[in-house]
Amino acid sequence: MAQATLAPEGVTQALSAEAVERISADEPTWLQERRRHAWSVYETTPMPTTKLEEWRYTDLKKKLDLAPLRLSEGTAAPDDPAQWPERLREAMDEDREASGHIVVIDGHVVHADISADLAKQGVVLGSLQDAVEQHAALVEEHLATEAVPAEEGKFAALNAALWTDGVLLYVPKGVQLEAPVRITRWLTESGAAYLSRVLIVAEQHSQVSYVDEVLSDDFESQTFTSTAVEVIAKDGAQVQYVAVQRLGKGAFYQSVQRTLAGRDATLDTLNVALGASVTRVDLNARLLGPGANSDMLGLYFGDGSQHFDFNTSQDHIKPNTASDLLYKGALDGSSRAVFRGIIRVYPGAQKTDAYQTNRNLLLSPHARADSLPNLEIEADDVKCSHGATVGELDSEAKFYLMSRGLNRTQAERLVVMGFLGEVLAKLPLGGVVEKVSRVIEQKLAQHEG
Amino acid sequence: MSAAPILKIAGLQAKVADEVELGILKGVDLEIKPGEIHAIMGPNGSGKSTLAKVLAGHPGYEPTDGSVTFAGEDLLEMEPDERSLAGIFLAFQYPVDIPGVSIANFLRTAVQARQPEGEDLDIFEFSDHLTERMEMLEMDVSFAERHVNDGFSGGEKKRNEILQMAMLKPRLAVMDETDSGLDIDALQIVAKGVNKLTEEDPEMSILLITHYQRLLNFIKPDFVHVMVNGRIARSGGPEVAIALEEEGYKTYEGQEAPSTNGSAPAA
Repeated sequence: MAQATLAPEGVTQALSAEAVERISADEPTWLQERRRHAWSVYETTPMPTTKLEEWRYTDLKKKLDLAPLRLSEGTAAPDDPAQWPERLREAMDEDREASGHIVVIDGHVVHADISADLAKQGVVLGSLQDAVEQHAALVEEHLATEAVPAEEGKFAALNAALWTDGVLLYVPKGVQLEAPVRITRWLTESGAAYLSRVLIVAEQHSQVSYVDEVLSDDFESQTFTSTAVEVIAKDGAQVQYVAVQRLGKGAFYQSVQRTLAGRDATLDTLNVALGASVTRVDLNARLLGPGANSDMLGLYFGDGSQHFDFNTSQDHIKPNTASDLLYKGALDGSSRAVFRGIIRVYPGAQKTDAYQTNRNLLLSPHARADSLPNLEIEADDVKCSHGATVGELDSEAKFYLMSRGLNRTQAERLVVMGFLGEVLAKLPLGGVVEKVSRVIEQKLAQHEG
Repeated sequence: MSAAPILKIAGLQAKVADEVELGILKGVDLEIKPGEIHAIMGPNGSGKSTLAKVLAGHPGYEPTDGSVTFAGEDLLEMEPDERSLAGIFLAFQYPVDIPGVSIANFLRTAVQARQPEGEDLDIFEFSDHLTERMEMLEMDVSFAERHVNDGFSGGEKKRNEILQMAMLKPRLAVMDETDSGLDIDALQIVAKGVNKLTEEDPEMSILLITHYQRLLNFIKPDFVHVMVNGRIARSGGPEVAIALEEEGYKTYEGQEAPSTNGSAPAA
């Protein structure tokens, strides 16, 4: 093999082959090999540039500097709520009923609980690192194999090579969780790279809602969080995956998500992005079995110079599958959003119903939204549509509300909440709606202040 | 009848905000006392809807001369929300839809805005009151959960305006072509609602703006004014409307406004 004269792109002092070896030192061989493979993919995959259509509006050269990052090495916080940060506890207190909780502080799962009854039925909710030992066969089968393998791209490869901890949720056949499981993550280390994974496997005819919230204060220097999310809904399973991102300034939030829906499975997702300086979400919904169905919801509210980039695909692989995507965002200050979505209907996937809508509300003359919907259809008996809008706050609506005694702030808030509320109304999980509404109201208050 | 007027308009001129010239209101004079019902009639383009919007503080119109005093305060200095809190209500000719915002939520916010500083609205009391008002207006309670004017029929929009009026209890309601686009049944329901409100609060004043006499069969005005070319050309009692119905607006074509002030004659 020829010696490379230049270091491969993205290899730094912290993000290195040595780090892969160090992290995996005590891990089983299959996992060590998987990490090494991922690392080789990472080394040989170029860093995406704006020359690639999928990265046209997010210039990593300007937005992400991997060189100074160190891998998060923080020690695990105690499993004692009294010693957890106040904002973390507040976020948890706002959640209503839950079937189980996971608390992740600086990349370490510090707490996991699941109701005794569900545990007895075989439900597993816990640290992915622990699951490597305790549920080896399950993890080996699904981790970075069929959903988000290293080959998915530069960041997927980096994550598969260097992830340190994450969450495993396993729901056995026929088991139904009435209340969601709640994951709350808190990050403190400025200048760190956090690489984490989520693996959800819902067996046949099971039912579960998973809500993952990440938050932090503002960071002094750029902090990178990478999450690879793999959600597998077997035949007839019903799964809701919700990610709520409330990171502080200075965070670069990157998430690769793949959902695999089997025959007659329902696999819905909601991505809420409120914080971080840069948000990049790659979501691919794969409808693998006839009758599979995915609702894909997204909501974002930007201010300051926040940058959001959503890259979605709806892959209809089998006939009689349905997907319905609705991403809506409001943008204030000089914030910017990019939505790029594609509906792919594979040959033979007849009777596909696929819809895709992206709507943006600009609250400031300096805000900007780009929407790039796309279709790729290789079957002839399908119903597909896509639409995108970028609009401004309706001044007649504002006057109408003010003429009823609402002040300017209240009027704007009502219009914006009404606009975004359509998304939340489609996935009314207890606690999420209120929490997201409150955060948006805080942001709106700053806009007028 | 020596009560002070609730609304006093003197020499009001106004134009479209972004245009340099072309005034629409060219010197309007009008006085309304508490409890009085006035109607302004006029042909299309006479400025009557502009007057309604200027009174509510629509940002698209700019007063250029004259004054408007409401309950002793300079109305033109006030923001639209301040005017509402002071007691002016505009029933819109074309109510605006607010997708995603329920009528209940909207009205709760509007009623909350009327609470004394720092006092929270009693949600249960509010909700009982809303139900009671909806029943009075013969509306189904489920209406409150619908999004404001979103996908409403013309009749539903106008009824929604009356519901808001019933909840916000203005001192002066300006009703801008509330009759337009309504069939006779819907018109009667709307008129019945307005009449109930004026019975409840005999001090409430109403300014009806309409092109047709039809509405005035159901809501009886004390005074009728004819507006032509940005001025009030004639003022009188209900007989003015009846005459108009027979003669049409032709009589007023090319006519200059009288030099007297157009305020309501003593009843």
